[in-house]
Parts: sequence; structure tokens; C-alpha cells
Amino acid sequence: MSKTKELARHKRDRTWMWIQLLPVMLVLTVLFGGALVLGVAQSLGFAPWFGVNTFPDFSYFGALWGDSFFWRSLGLTLYYAIAATLISLVMGVLLALALVRSFPSKSLYKYLYKLPLMIPYTVGIALAVIMLGNGGMLSRLMAFAGFIDDPSQFPQILKTHMGWGIIAVYVWKQTPFVALTIYAVLLGVGRETEEAAAILGANKRQVFFQVTLPQILPGIISSTLIIFAFNIGAFEAPFILGGGFPDTLPVVAWRYFNDADYTLQLQGMATVVSIALVAGVILYSYLAFYRRYERRIGRH
Amino acid sequence: MTAVQLKGVRKDFGGFTAISNIDLDIRSGELVALLGPSGCGKTTTLRMIAGLEVPSDGQILFDGKDVSEVAVQKRNVGMVFQRYALFPHMTVEKNVAFGLKVRGTDKAEIEQRLEDILDVVQLQQFRHRFPAQLSGGQMQRVAIARTLITNPSVLMMDEPLANLDTKLRGEMRRFIRDLQQRLGITTIFVTHDQIEAMELADRVAVIFDGKLAQYDAPDALYKRPGSIDIADFMGATNVFEAMIRGKTATAPFGSLAFATDATDGPAHVMLRGEAIDLHLAEPPETQNQIRGRVSAREFFGANITYTVACGDAQIQVIEQSRRMVDLDQEVWLTIPPDRIWIIQN
Repeated sequence: MSKTKELARHKRDRTWMWIQLLPVMLVLTVLFGGALVLGVAQSLGFAPWFGVNTFPDFSYFGALWGDSFFWRSLGLTLYYAIAATLISLVMGVLLALALVRSFPSKSLYKYLYKLPLMIPYTVGIALAVIMLGNGGMLSRLMAFAGFIDDPSQFPQILKTHMGWGIIAVYVWKQTPFVALTIYAVLLGVGRETEEAAAILGANKRQVFFQVTLPQILPGIISSTLIIFAFNIGAFEAPFILGGGFPDTLPVVAWRYFNDADYTLQLQGMATVVSIALVAGVILYSYLAFYRRYERRIGRH
Repeated sequence: MTAVQLKGVRKDFGGFTAISNIDLDIRSGELVALLGPSGCGKTTTLRMIAGLEVPSDGQILFDGKDVSEVAVQKRNVGMVFQRYALFPHMTVEKNVAFGLKVRGTDKAEIEQRLEDILDVVQLQQFRHRFPAQLSGGQMQRVAIARTLITNPSVLMMDEPLANLDTKLRGEMRRFIRDLQQRLGITTIFVTHDQIEAMELADRVAVIFDGKLAQYDAPDALYKRPGSIDIADFMGATNVFEAMIRGKTATAPFGSLAFATDATDGPAHVMLRGEAIDLHLAEPPETQNQIRGRVSAREFFGANITYTVACGDAQIQVIEQSRRMVDLDQEVWLTIPPDRIWIIQN
């Protein structure tokens, strides 16, 4: 009697668990999984709604990867993403380290640094255009101060393949994100291990690299994963602030999708899948590398 | 072996004064407890001696040399934190060797001293474990080893027994005491627990509200507290208002003869519960005899605490549990004059 009751309760619990999981499962499998499968299928020539169905057909990838512009685009995409991620990481960690120490008007700073997190990317891009463009605020100020004769002599920051504008917008937006994450981790870690290390005779550099850094590493890994994944797939900043052909891969994909020849959408899909592949391989190796480090110090 | 001296030390945090003025002399090789309620400034005092905080005023001297401005890395002190502050990403071995490694000691010597210290704290078989895989007592021994391996001139401990269970407490207390005596290292620890202070320290510095209230050996502090606050903090229960004239104190429950020196006038009389004898029949000695009735009884295993109502006053008597006196029983209390302490001002 009690056994059947127990079994019934167990069954009820399981059913309830599945009901709770259902919404997430639906979103993941249908929206994400379905889109992924369709995207890959389309990049391999499956698009009957355009009257194209040559599945499986690797010619779209062949055409894309065979062209040198693709590799230059990939290089630019990676350059902007990696440079912005590294700069944001260093600045974010420094900011977080500063925030755990006490200094005058700290509460004001703690509010101010989060401001870019609340402002959309597009606004950031507009700000970059207003501030950094030729004829922008900075160039006019420089001309006004007499450093240059005319605003047009201001060095080209935006719309070059050096991508200063793109990187600046990413860094402006992502430094606070890194700082926020690392700050939370630092609060959890506390000051005591740093103090213990200092008492044992460690100088500031030794304290940071041997005591603080290993403890905040999980936060560094997760925040850089998130911003790098965003940067490699971001579209609007390179589209508006980039140097034109060759564009970054997301912009290339967008141009294919917007082409009058709608069959080029398959080429666009191949581009998107390529971005996903590159990002996946990089992020996976990054994580694998970190896991190996964790194992090496014996944490797992 | 280092003598530590605090001269007029003061510490402000913004507008808040944590320590208003402390003078303290700690002899070389002595084990001293800083005792006080939480927020009294004892941890701040310890952190200033360690060099983690700089005093706003006054001097900290090691063997007569002013070290107030010496950076924490150069001060060569040791500190065992309350929650041990072990490096979670390092094994026991690496935790312990850290202090020597950052000082650039050569490898062979680190290896040698590591073996020695792991033997001392009996952690050889745990050397490859991470802090998360250790018990509280083991973590504390790692923290002690990590500190001692650097041969600090002063060892500091923040609430060394607070995080341990009763059985481990006794073990750690003996361990710390033995180690301290063997190495003869000047040791200062902070605690809010008067039992912990008395069981470990040679001398106890009681700190109230950022001021040194009393600095004495544990038994002196226990028997002869300098103020009602200290008596209260040291767990005294029988403190009564009294009028002093000559060698007699007149309390609500009667007159008591005492042996200590006191000036005439209003004061407080303190009777330690374990110094009072409890008689079931009227005893022959009439000096310091108080009559009353048992109004409550608390059984603690080895001891029993009786509350005896003597007029309006309630006197607590602590007795070994060799007998059980019934509630409501009429009793006579006696106390020798030399066990009575007078608290004045």
C-alpha cells in the first residue's frame, strides 16, 4: 500500500519537474536547435522555398573559404574581438581591484562606472561618431586648443581597418561588465588571503599574480567568454564604424542577406555558420585550456 | 624573541575612533590575550601590530625600535586569521611554503624547513590536500605552520579557538600552548571569550571601547577585576552595592568582613560563587555568615549552581556535584574574608 503511494508520489514529482522544464526546453530545442539545424542545412544547399535544393552541397562553403577576402574578413573580425576583449579585461580587472579598496566618493564611482551598461550599443556608436569623427567634438577641441590647424587634420579614428572606433565602443561598453563580474567575485574572495600573503612577505605583484588572480580566474574566464562571443558576432559597430571592404564576417553575412539576388542568402548562411564554427572552436579551446590549468593545479 | 610595546596608540577610521589611546607592554616570549566585546577595537589593535593598519597617532615598538611605519611585508610578523585565510588554490605544501618562496629562499632550504614544520604540526599525510579537503583543526594547523615557517618575531592569532568544537578546542589549546613554550615566540591573540583568554594567556589585556581597561594575569583578573564592567565581562555574578567602613562591607543581606584594602564609602562587593560554602545547618563560625533559602538549582554535570535568596539579594553558589540540595531548603552561606573583593569607583 505505502509502496504504491510512494511510487505515485515519485511519478507526480517527475511529471511536475518536466512541466517546469518545458518552457526552457521548448525555447532551446525549437527556437535555437531548430534554427541551428535549418541554418546548417541551408548553408549546405537546402532552400526549397527559393527553389534551391542541392543538399548536401559544400560549394557555398567552398566559394566562401576559397576567396581571400573571407580570410581577411575573418582576420579583422578576430582582431576587433580579441583586442577589445583583452583591453576590456585588463581595464575591468583594474577597475574592480580599485573598487574593493576604499577611497573618497567611492559610492559615486560605483554608480558611475555602471552607466555604459545601461546605454544601448547604438547610442554608444552614435557617441563615438559625435566624439571621435573628423569634425567631431574631439577634433574641434584639438583645433580650438591649437594642436591642429583644422578639425579635418584630426587623425582618422573611425572607418579605418585599425578599428579604433569599433574597439573603443566595445571597450566602453564591456569594461564595466568585466568590472561588475570581477568585483562580485572579489567581494566573495575577500581581502584576507591578500593580507595573509602580504604578512608572509609577498610584495604587491606577488600578491596579485599568486593569490588574487588564481582566485578570480573563474570570473575572468566567464566574463571574457561572454564578451568575446558577443564581439565576434556583433554587427552594428563594425557596420557603422568599420573601414568598409573587407568587412567583418557578420557585416559580410548581412550584405549577402540583403542582396537583390536572394539565392545569395545561402552564401550568407554559410558565412553565419562559419562564424559559429570559428567562435565555437575558439571558445571551446579556451575552456579546454582553462580546464587543463585547473587540473594541473589539482583543483579537479 | 621580541618585546612589543604600544605607546599612546590611537586609530581613527574617518570620523570614527576605534582606539582612543592604548599603552601596552608585552614582554619577549609572553603569550598575551586581547580580550573584549566585539567592536571594542581589539582586532584593530592586532592589525596595527601586524602592520595591516597604520596608527593615527602613537608608536608601536618591537624591541624598542619604532616599526609604526614599517610596511607589513618587512615587519616579519606572523598572523593566523580567524577563518585561517588559506590560499584555496594551493595544496597544504604550497600554502606552507608560500612565505619562503616569495622571500626568495633557496629551494633546498624551503624543502628542509617544510619537512620540519609539517612534522611539528603533524600534517605530513595531508601535504597534497587542498584546504577545502581539511577539517577546521587541520586548516588551523596549516595556518600556524604557514606562519611559523617564516620565523616571525611576533605571532598573532585572531580568535584562535572560536571556530573549533569543544573537543578540538582542548586539543588546539594544548597544541598552541606547547608550541608557544617550545619556540618561546612572543604571541598575541584576540578573543571575545574570557574562558579562551584565561585558558591560554600569561596575561590578559581587557579592552573596552578602544581603551585598555585592565592588564593582568588571568587569575588576578578573575579574582580582582578593576571595575564592575570587567567583573561582569569576566562572568562574575555576585556583585552587590555595599558601604565600606574599615574592613567591613555592609551589603543588603548583612555585613561582611574582608581582607583587602579599601577606602571608606560606597562601593561594590564581589563574591565569587565557588568561594562560598553552603551549609545545611547553622555553622559554628559566625563571621561572614549569610542566611537564606535555595530558590533555584542548575545542574551542569560536574558542577551545580544554586541560587540562594538572602533577603532581597540573590546569591549564586557554585558547588561540585557531590550532593543535591533541595529547593526551598534553608541554608547558611559562609565566605572567607580573603575571598571577598571590593570594587571601588
